[in-house]
Order: sequence, then C-alpha cells, then structure tokens
Amino acid sequence: MSRDVVLSSEVEARLRELGEVDLLVGIPSYNNARTIGHVVRAAAAGLAKHFPLQRAVIVNSDGGSKDGSPDVVAASDFTSPGAILVSHPLNAVQKIVTPYHGVPGKGSAFRTIFAIADRLSAKACVVVDADLRSITPGWIELLLGPVLHQGFDFVAPLYLRHKYDGTITNSIVYPVTRALYGKDVRQPIGGDFGFSGALAKHYLAQPVWESNVARFGIDIWMTTTALADDFKVCQAFLGAKIHDAKDPGSDLAQMFVQVVSAVFDLMQTYRSRWQKVETVAPVPLFGFPHGVGLEPVAVNVERMIRIFRQASRDLHEVWVRVLSDETLAGVGALASIEAAPFHFPDSLWVRVVYEFASVYHDRVLTQEQLLRSLVPIYLGRTASFVLEAAHYDSDQVEAAIAKLANEFFTQRKILLERFK
Amino acid sequence: MWQEILAEVIRKTLSGFGERLADFGPNLLAMMVILAVGLLAAMTVRFLLKLLLPRVGFDRFAQRIGLSLVLGKAGITRTPSGVVAVSVAWAVFGVFLLLGIGALDLRIAMDLLSKAFAYLPQLLIALGILVLGTLVSGFVRRSVLIAAVNAGLAPARLLATVAQSGLLVLFIAMALEHLGLGRQVILTSFTILFGGVVLALALAFGLAGRDLARELLERLMHPSSDDDEGDGLHHL
Repeated sequence: MSRDVVLSSEVEARLRELGEVDLLVGIPSYNNARTIGHVVRAAAAGLAKHFPLQRAVIVNSDGGSKDGSPDVVAASDFTSPGAILVSHPLNAVQKIVTPYHGVPGKGSAFRTIFAIADRLSAKACVVVDADLRSITPGWIELLLGPVLHQGFDFVAPLYLRHKYDGTITNSIVYPVTRALYGKDVRQPIGGDFGFSGALAKHYLAQPVWESNVARFGIDIWMTTTALADDFKVCQAFLGAKIHDAKDPGSDLAQMFVQVVSAVFDLMQTYRSRWQKVETVAPVPLFGFPHGVGLEPVAVNVERMIRIFRQASRDLHEVWVRVLSDETLAGVGALASIEAAPFHFPDSLWVRVVYEFASVYHDRVLTQEQLLRSLVPIYLGRTASFVLEAAHYDSDQVEAAIAKLANEFFTQRKILLERFK
Repeated sequence: MWQEILAEVIRKTLSGFGERLADFGPNLLAMMVILAVGLLAAMTVRFLLKLLLPRVGFDRFAQRIGLSLVLGKAGITRTPSGVVAVSVAWAVFGVFLLLGIGALDLRIAMDLLSKAFAYLPQLLIALGILVLGTLVSGFVRRSVLIAAVNAGLAPARLLATVAQSGLLVLFIAMALEHLGLGRQVILTSFTILFGGVVLALALAFGLAGRDLARELLERLMHPSSDDDEGDGLHHL
C-alpha cells in the first residue's frame, strides 16, 4: 500500500539510505514557518532525551507552503538541542522533508507520513501539528512511550483546556464517539497522536484517500478507526495546548460541518460495529494530570442565544424536515422563553444530535445544508453550557460533560432504531 | 308541389349524410379506437409509475430536493411519485388525443395536430426550465437563509426570499423566451423589472438599512471580526 503513495526520487533515495528506523515523528505543515522550527526542535530533543538508543526520523509532509516552512525544517540543526539533553544520543535524529501529493489537506499529508513509516518499518510513530507553541520534548515521550514500551497501538492526547474551550468536542464529538464505540477517549480530535507501525499500515490500507478524510476529518477518522477496529487505545496527558492563531477565513459553520460530517460519515461506515457495543469502558491514561487556573473568558452568550432564537423562527421550514414533532416542539419552546435563565436540557440536545445524524444518511437535505442548519441549535446549547458552568471549577465542568456523555449513551437506542 | 320539393330535399339531405357518414365513419371509429388505446396506455403508465417510483426512492429524492415542499405549498396532497405518475399519464393520453384528432383527417384537425407536435418540444423544454428553476431557487433560498441566520443577520428571510424570487423570475423569463411568447416584451419587462428591483434594493439598503449595510460590509472585509471569534470561544 505504501508503494501507492507518490514520493520524489530524492525521498526514495533517502529511504533507501535510512533502511529501517524505530521511531518516526510526522509533522504535516502548510504555511507554518513561524512555529514549525520550534516543533521540530522539541521533537528532536524529545527523541534524543527519551529514546537515545532508538533510530529515529522526523518527517515533514508539506502541502505547498508559500512561506518556506520546509526550508525551516531543512535548516534545523539537531546536533545542539541545548540544556534539556541529559544523555548523548547514540543515533542522530534524521529528517525527511517532502511535499505530499493527492487531494490537498491534512489527511493527504498524514498518508505520506504513514507510507514513509511503513517503508521504514517504524515501530512507533507520532504526529504533531506544525502550529504548536506549547509542545515540549515530554510530549514525544508521552505519545511514543505507551506504544514502544506498553504495547499500545494508539495514543490519544489529553490536553488541559479552559472550561469553555472545545465545545464541539465536548458537546458532540466526545459523547457521540464514547456512546457509539464504547471507549472513553476524552479528546478524539486532539490532532497530536501516537500510533504503532501496525496501525500506520492499517490506516494506509483503508480506501479513504480520495474522500473527505484526505481533506479534513483525519483526526476523528484515526481515532474512530483505532477504536472500531479493536486496536489497543490509551490516552496521554500533555498539559496545555497552545497553537498559532487559526486561519481567519475559516468560520464556525464551515469548521462545524467538517468535524460533524466526519463523525456522521463514520457512523455509517462502522454501523455494524457500534450496533454491538453495550457498555462504555475507560482507557488507560499516561502522564500526570493536573489542574489549571481558570482565567475569566469573555463569552458573547447573548449573540449565541439571539442566533438560536432567530433560527427557531426562520429555520423552522428546514428543521421540520429533520426533527421529530416532539423535539421540534422542545426546541421551539426553549427559544420562545425570554425569561432567564436560559437552559438547554441535555436530553433535548441528545435527541437533536441523534435525529440530525439519522436524517444525515437519508439525504432529505444536502449534508452541507443539514449540518449548517444545526449550527444555531449548537450555539443555543453552547450558550446554555456557558451560563451553567459560569461558576464551575474544572472538576464540576468534567462532571457536567460526563453527565451529558451518559445521556448520549442512554439515548443511543434512538440511533439503533433508525439504523436498523 | 311543395310536398314533392320537401321530400326531394330531405331525400338528398339524408342521402348526402349517409354518404358523408360512410366516408367519415371509419375515421371516427379509428379516433374512438385510438382514444380507447390511449386511455388504456395512460392507465398502464400511471399504474407502473405509481408502483415503481416509490421503490426506487423517488419520494425520498423529491423530499431532498424540495419538490415535496413545493407540492405541499401548492396544496397538492398526493405523493411526488403520484403526481409524476398522473402527469405522465395525462401526457400520454394527450398524445393519443392528438393522434385521434388526426385520424379524423380534417384539414383543421391536421393543421392543429402538426402545430401541436411542432410546439410540443418547446413546451416540454419550457416546462423543464420551470421545474429546474423551482428546484434551483428553492435550494438557493435554503442556502441563503441558513447562511444569513448563522451570520446573525436579522432580515434572513427577506434575503432568502429575494434570492429565490430573483431566480424564479429569471427562470420564468427564460421559459417564456423559449416559448417565443412576446420575446421583446418579455425581455424589456424583465430588464425593467430586474433593474428596478436592484435599484430599489440598493436604495433601501443604502438609505433605510445603513447600519445593516455597514455591518455586512464589515463582515465582508473582516470575516473573523464578529463571526467565529465573535462569541469568544475556541469551538474545536
């Protein structure tokens, strides 16, 4: 399968020169010249510090950056990573810089990394985003260690996040993934993962590289594939994740559609697997979890509620084709209540998500329109969560998310009936 | 005397009628047979379509593209597959009706028949343009409506209706133009109407909706200013 991925003659020659490696760090990039140098240095330091006996390579798979990101990687010097080194590595960290070919997107960049991992027979791999500012050498140890030393196939990241961050993850991606596949992976779309060579080979063999997975949704696809295909999965606590400001052109609706469509598409792909799941099991956690002080964040709740209320008037003609009478009435009643406090019940939100998921595959609307029409309800739900969690500490926030996740699991019979 | 004349007139009349009936009778009979066959063919087509279309998922497809909604708004309670079955059945019967009229072999009927058959393709294309226009404008309406609501624009429904109406007017003008109905009149009317609507909207937008115009332009120039970051959250 790795032979199907096009590589330049220089990269082919480099692969022959390297022969085999033990570890591989993959860094997909696109216009990340400002931050990729730091990521490469952290990765090299992590490999040298924590895996000095292993042969390792850093692979930069670039999507045609205009800002010279690959040049930054090519120019990186691994020989003097500074004071963090406690032992001299026996094998110098190697690097490969290559453009990827195929459908433009993070998924295609990952495909090239999987192919190189396969060609070099890497035992353990890690992929990290090129826009990270908070990556430390310790991340490499936490993401590779469980694969190399504990026999795990997939390591999902667990970050410290502000209680209001990651609302799509907390309100849809995490609870739906947990309810369907029966494994409690808290941040399924974290973006930085560790995985075994066997899993890289498995990913490479899947017929998804011309689909949306190649463009976006690679993160949830990797996690779901590992869960659904019964690979050994764990989590690693990495601390805070801080990354470069995102593309200002990408709006919430577009981001929402990309992530949720990937979750719903996988629901169809793995329908026969998740229909057999009956319980939820925790997954092992590596690292040392700790709390964080919660800085106050100014959230424009009024704007979110205003959009939700407007949508309940204006998008009724769309929602009526998607939601059951009971759910539609519940959403309508919620929008019509002007008096505070605004509260979106968990049970209603779960019904909304599951009914949208059911209709998504019936194609009563185009999938883009369908998911964009869900955005205002999501904003209403998010506003409700922000109001509810205003005085919560981290543990209380996690308890609220766990309660929602349990509601998703309890109500999964809605999906089971619709997908019969 | 007058009795003989009357008898002669009646005899000639009856004789003439008999002759004409003898000439015309087979044509009339042929027409009746063609109509009967047409009726049978139409009923068969209707039965088959009503049976097959739901099985190939036509109703679900119609729901997806918004045809069901259009039919519902028009007060049509039949299923989309039922509507298509009845429409095709009538079209089949219409063709047999024209053939039946042709069988009468009357000059006026022949003229009517040849004109009808010559015009039929234009009529079908115009009908196709109208159906396409309804679907496209419905799709655009939903897209504009959802995008406007997500952007928090208060006149979302107005924007959606304007987009849909503009497209519908365009498709109706195209259909009429294709039928060749008052080509110049339609073209001129459409130009005046469309120009007038655009001018009116521009004036309304600039004068009455100055704040809205500013808001929209700001969003256009600075897309991240009050949209994804506007609520202060990192959603992923």
